[in-house]
Amino acid sequence: MTALIRTNLPVLVVIAPLFVAFILPPLARRIRLVEALAFLATVFGFGAAGYLAAVVFAQKGSPFIYQLGGWPAPWGIELVAGNLGVFFLLAVTGVSVPVLLFGRGNLTAEVGGAGRVTRFYVLYLLLVGALAGMAVTNDLFNVYVLVEVVTLSCCGLVSARRHPRAAEAAFTYLVLATLGSALVLGGIGLLYLLTGHLNMGFAARELGRAWPDYPHAVLMAVSFTIIGFGVKAALFPLHVWLPDAHATAPSPASAILSGLAVKGYLICLLKFLYGVFGGVLLRELAVHRILTLLGVTGIIAGSILALAQEELKRRLAYSTVAQVGYLVLGFGSLNVTGLVGALFYLASHAVIKAALFLSAGAIQQATGKRKIRELAGVGRKMPVTMAAFTIGSCGLIGLPLFSGFIGKWYLLLGSWEAGMFLPVAAVLAGSVLCAAYLLPVIRAAYFAPAPEEDWQDPGRPQRLALLMLATVVLALGVRPGPFLELARKAAAELLAYY
Amino acid sequence: MLALVLALSSGVAGGLLVAVLPAARSRLRNLVVLFFTGCGVFGSWQVARLVWAGEQLRIAGRLGGLSFCLDPDPLGVVFALLAATLWLFTVVYSFGYMAGKAHQRTYYSFLLLTFSVTLGVAFSGNLVALYLFYELLTLATYPLVIQERSEEAMQAGTKYLLYNLSGAAVLLLAIVLTAAQGGRLDFVGGPILARGMKTGYNGLLFLFTVGFGVKAALMPLHRWLPAAMVAPTPVSALLHAVAVVYAGVFGLLRVVFSVFGPELLGELGFTALLPWVAAVTILVGIILATRQDELKRRLAYQTISHLSYILLGAFTLHPSGLAGAVLQMIGYAALKTAFFFCVGLIAEQTGVTRVSRMDGVGKVLPKTMAAFAVVTLGMIGLLPLGTFWGKYYLMKGSVAGGLWPLAVVLAGSGFINAVCFIPVVVKAFQGERTCTPVTERGGRVTLMLAPTLLLVVIGLGMGLFPGMVWPGVRAVVDWFF
Repeated sequence: MTALIRTNLPVLVVIAPLFVAFILPPLARRIRLVEALAFLATVFGFGAAGYLAAVVFAQKGSPFIYQLGGWPAPWGIELVAGNLGVFFLLAVTGVSVPVLLFGRGNLTAEVGGAGRVTRFYVLYLLLVGALAGMAVTNDLFNVYVLVEVVTLSCCGLVSARRHPRAAEAAFTYLVLATLGSALVLGGIGLLYLLTGHLNMGFAARELGRAWPDYPHAVLMAVSFTIIGFGVKAALFPLHVWLPDAHATAPSPASAILSGLAVKGYLICLLKFLYGVFGGVLLRELAVHRILTLLGVTGIIAGSILALAQEELKRRLAYSTVAQVGYLVLGFGSLNVTGLVGALFYLASHAVIKAALFLSAGAIQQATGKRKIRELAGVGRKMPVTMAAFTIGSCGLIGLPLFSGFIGKWYLLLGSWEAGMFLPVAAVLAGSVLCAAYLLPVIRAAYFAPAPEEDWQDPGRPQRLALLMLATVVLALGVRPGPFLELARKAAAELLAYY
Repeated sequence: MLALVLALSSGVAGGLLVAVLPAARSRLRNLVVLFFTGCGVFGSWQVARLVWAGEQLRIAGRLGGLSFCLDPDPLGVVFALLAATLWLFTVVYSFGYMAGKAHQRTYYSFLLLTFSVTLGVAFSGNLVALYLFYELLTLATYPLVIQERSEEAMQAGTKYLLYNLSGAAVLLLAIVLTAAQGGRLDFVGGPILARGMKTGYNGLLFLFTVGFGVKAALMPLHRWLPAAMVAPTPVSALLHAVAVVYAGVFGLLRVVFSVFGPELLGELGFTALLPWVAAVTILVGIILATRQDELKRRLAYQTISHLSYILLGAFTLHPSGLAGAVLQMIGYAALKTAFFFCVGLIAEQTGVTRVSRMDGVGKVLPKTMAAFAVVTLGMIGLLPLGTFWGKYYLMKGSVAGGLWPLAVVLAGSGFINAVCFIPVVVKAFQGERTCTPVTERGGRVTLMLAPTLLLVVIGLGMGLFPGMVWPGVRAVVDWFF
């Protein structure tokens, strides 16, 4: 039995949450059971990811390839738990556990009755399963399917709250995301036309032969994928849907949307760019310059827009736009150092943003205040929540000893190695701007006179979730060791043929 | 090793302990603060003793691919001893000054945290550690700057953060580029960049100068310093005249002697410019000081001017210049702290904060004003005070380094200092008394007056017996040349 589970682990990581999501609706009345099952599913995912990571580590980085139905590629569908796969799997499952824990016994207030809570968990598990799928998939069409699953479950999560603003945000998101999906599908279709393969490895090999003959078609495919995933990942200036969607969703949903869903699309983009098109082609078409430019504008514009927001959750949402800029900038560096930075930053931002959104949600729930200047004195009354927020902020600003610093360090070094000065300046300016938009929150919380109100830290599971995330931010900053190593191997693998 | 851990951790431990003590137990809190500061001072002296004895105390760790280490050397030890010793004085002065004021718990807790961070800056063994503590210093001192919580204080605090965090970002860039060039970031084992390819070093030096220059208040990056004077006087004394600004100066000394090294710097074009930036800061700073009516602002501009004395000494790239810089660092820090203490006493006792209202203050507060007068002589650089020796070696270094106009700048600055402060002293003793008469007695005043007078005595002692600081200075010069 255990052997059976072990050999099928790459597919189980994806299937288990999806399966649990299916059996939840009939149990909707027994809300405790629903919570427990959902929690078990995410914990199983995390354990499985840890095991797969250990296997990949033990095999010195060679991937755990799983053939669905026993059919070998290119006929069958492959799941590959390689360095990149397990890296993102760890990030997804690792963040999904505390975020789910935060919702425990706490969601009814945000989304309404038991039926809606169950619906939330169903969507949440679908999202986690699909993101896990994005981590391990090696098939172009599977990517499209997973992209659709993620999009639709995100859409449901955005509208989980009974509020006209939520419905409006979800609708905007749906329209733009569908446009993105169509573009992605177009890109995949073109690739299939050009190469005759849907397996990424085979498609990449074939594309290397085909692209001198069809340069325009390849260019179209590249631009379709970048724009398609760009819309979904809220790459500036395609970010317009994100602030409303992430700011109106219930806080665990905001955390997972900002922390992970956006990253899922970016991992897919990364797989397309480096796994299918390949570094040589990217350089030939000057795609890396476009990516760098998009990253730089994203960082600067996102940060400035964040600075202009008065509501805490909106400020955090715009900050996500800026952080996506860092990742895309790293993708465009075309060297291992820059990619290591981007990957590590991706994981670090997932944890940090989850911590920030959850603590912001806890604050909003306890105080009923949305605006930053109304948060005077929160730090004294809700010490655990604000401590998590402060640690997250320090991480996002990129202070040493916090996880963000290591990512930024490699991003800076990578950009410099690529011989580009503009991204270096943008990364640094982004840090200063980040301090400018997050420190006022901390200042208001700790140094402004507190009103005579009874605000309190949230319950035990919520506090535990916040502490877990804050600890991970610090742990990744002080001892990034094996995780960084995994990112390094993944980056080296992606650039292996370059 | 144990001494190093003790020195670094006592501030953090004390700060956390103070944070959890009930706000009303002020006597207990003062004892805790005094005890932990004492531990830190003791630890620093132990570290100094060991370093001077030639031992290597090294604590190293890794942050991913980055090494991070603490490794005190003679220069760091001088800075640490200076900061630690003055911290003790400031803490005692604070017991008097802060008595009965609001937010005392926050104040003492962050004062102690800052103590650890400052020692961290001093003991950093590589650029990563230095950057970490440099950045932390900004954040740890922010609550002290906005201690009053007034609108003005909040604005000053924002300015403070903006300047210093931007400076730190530039510094990070410089460090990344150094890592890309030299690969090694540790200070031990000679200058980092000595064996590099020497391309783009002028730009790198520029970035370092800007990065550390913000805290060192090098013009035109000095604007935050006068604004930060809204902080309580002991904070101004310690942080904005010694610890924070010295962290910038210390960083620049590190850049000159540990990152580039005097030999390499001598070959760079940008180096030729640096002494003149320092010279302009010296003169413009003190000239601006003469135009300030508010006493604390006048002192702030004077700080800007005097910090560049130290930088000027370093930029001469001559052993005598370095000796002068270190001597100036020590002598000036003690006297400037006393200077601020005097100003704080005057403001607390008589309510006078402006030069134009100083008439007759000397008759009300004779001991304070006597200390003020002696310190003024020190600021000019006259003999019975420690700062004379600093200035002497700075001039010697300038001439020996072939930059004799700098010696003239130093002499001129001394003269303007006299113009700036002697009339104040004269007015205080001779003018018609306008402020309310108060006594110079009572427990609270004694707590403030005793450290002030003791510092003045130390300043005189250093002037008369320069031998007592000379071994420390010699160790630094021998270490780098």
